[in-house]
Amino acid sequence: MKTPSLRAKLKTGPVQVTDFASESMIELRGIVKRFSNAAGEFTVLKGVDLTINRGEFVSIVGKSGSGKSTLLNMITGIDHPTEGQVVVNATDIYTGVTESQRSKWRGKNLGIVFQFFQLLPMLTLLENVMLPMDYVDLYDFDERPERAMELLKLVGLEKFADKLPVLVSTGQQQLAAIARAMACDPPLLVADEPTGNLDSRSADTIIQLFELFVSQGKTIVMVTHDPSLTSRTHRNIILSDGELINETISRSLPQLRHRHMLEFTRIAEEREYQPNETIISRDQHVDHFFMIREGEVEVVLHEQEKQEFVLSHLHSGEFFGEIELLRGGKAIASVRAGSKPVKVLTLPRADFLRVMQESPITAEAIGKIVQEKLEVQETGRQVNR
Amino acid sequence: MANLFIAVALAAAFVRLFMSSTIIELRNVSKTYSTAAGDFTALKKVNMKIEAGEFVGIVGKSGAGKSTLLNMINGVDQLTSGEVLVAERADGEKISIHEMSEDQRALWRGLKMGVVYQSFQLLPMLTLIENITLPMDLSGNFKPRESKERAMQLLQLVELEEHANKLPAFISGGQQQRVAIARALANDPPILVADEPTGSLDSITADHIFDVFEQLVSDQKKTIIMVTHDTGLVSRFSRNLTIADGELVDTEMDSQLDKTIRRRK
Repeated sequence: MKTPSLRAKLKTGPVQVTDFASESMIELRGIVKRFSNAAGEFTVLKGVDLTINRGEFVSIVGKSGSGKSTLLNMITGIDHPTEGQVVVNATDIYTGVTESQRSKWRGKNLGIVFQFFQLLPMLTLLENVMLPMDYVDLYDFDERPERAMELLKLVGLEKFADKLPVLVSTGQQQLAAIARAMACDPPLLVADEPTGNLDSRSADTIIQLFELFVSQGKTIVMVTHDPSLTSRTHRNIILSDGELINETISRSLPQLRHRHMLEFTRIAEEREYQPNETIISRDQHVDHFFMIREGEVEVVLHEQEKQEFVLSHLHSGEFFGEIELLRGGKAIASVRAGSKPVKVLTLPRADFLRVMQESPITAEAIGKIVQEKLEVQETGRQVNR
Repeated sequence: MANLFIAVALAAAFVRLFMSSTIIELRNVSKTYSTAAGDFTALKKVNMKIEAGEFVGIVGKSGAGKSTLLNMINGVDQLTSGEVLVAERADGEKISIHEMSEDQRALWRGLKMGVVYQSFQLLPMLTLIENITLPMDLSGNFKPRESKERAMQLLQLVELEEHANKLPAFISGGQQQRVAIARALANDPPILVADEPTGSLDSITADHIFDVFEQLVSDQKKTIIMVTHDTGLVSRFSRNLTIADGELVDTEMDSQLDKTIRRRK
């Protein structure tokens, strides 16, 4: 008798939104979060726009205090934005929803894993995994133990099903917490430093498990400090001082300090080129640094006979224009869009050079790339002669 | 006739044993773990009695056997030999929790014992009051409305009633631990067992947690058994047991116990 009333309550709860791309799992729209305390007001998130698609495996990184966990709390509905809209799985989770409605919605739509696994100490692992099913009243009552057991098998803990959490290792506790997060088969799994408290072997087991879930179509968003994890996600989102770093910038110049990435994020301009459109012409002055966001460009060499040949193709996450900017002077090759439209981000010459001076590691990394490109170019010239 | 006499004498002995309100008694409890490197004895023939209303601290270094001892007392782990006797006040019958079936033991634990750990905290997606009603709903001992009322009273006890509808992320670590204590008390167990409950808290916050425990002993007559490595806390327990290398090193345990009993009388 309890179930229908719950369902009825849910109906008046979260609102389905219509202006939501079907491939998106999460859309954050202009999220601002301000905290007030005795010392005054503090803005943790400064207008964050972010779309995460279904099936993506995304890591969120950033220094301590950059707003990572706050951002995650916006997605889980654990915290409330000061401004902006959060749409998860086509549901606006903050408009016209009470805390308890949100809590039921959350139970069905997302699994959450924290650094400190919140297993209930007085329940066995099996009972802990069954808990969310009981809570949102999903699955037939008699079906629940069986399903919980399957999940424990999946994480390799079936032998310990009847043990209390205190009798298994911390890595196993975290695995049980993950099994519990997946209890109601949510499309989205959110994890805050899931391996922060574990040795590297347990951490690896957990990431393999996440990869398995992603291969099954789940979306996973994870806050982490651990570089061995970020290298295994599809997308790496960096937060700096409450703002998102443009992902094209972080992919192109990963050695940059976050504050420099943020500076570039603020000043970079996006340009779009049509197929085969020239971006840089040979012998012209280059006054921008270009990072490819989408599409492919061709680097073209011209020889005296006006013959041209394509030296190389550059893709998303690569850049061009740096040789000219660093050495001064005119373009040594032409660059044009490939057979599809190209989106690039551009930075003015002066800003690029200043940051290179402030960031020797990046300058060195770019220097190496320049060296390689010049070698390729030289070989290309010789071959072509 | 002689048999009857013996029976009466035995009964009297039990009554003495348990009417003096011994709430838990360990007899020759040993625990040996088998590992790849060989057997490791974590507890060596431990004998101890805990009286109702005591606030007992089990103190010792890391690896001394504190948590193993606690896991014997609350029946979470299996012992290798010995007995852990738990008695219901006046009924005089001794029951060893390790002879109970798994289900009986879980039931007993659920009714008689609340547990507070250093790192098991609250379910992050439930409000504080929901976190506390959960064990009551699971036990089925309370009707939904009762459990909500009781949860509110427990939140008042730990002075967090104004935060009842908040999620754990919005209160401090010390406040979360107070909620965990309230949750441990949900089914009104006579015994509270705590494993390093202040381990991850700063000293001022730890002090507040201790105040809550002391209040539970003095006002609600709860029995509390707490494991800690922090020797700075020993003055606040009504009795300390020191454990080292799996043995209770306090040779004066019995005389101390006597003193405690006398003081209470």
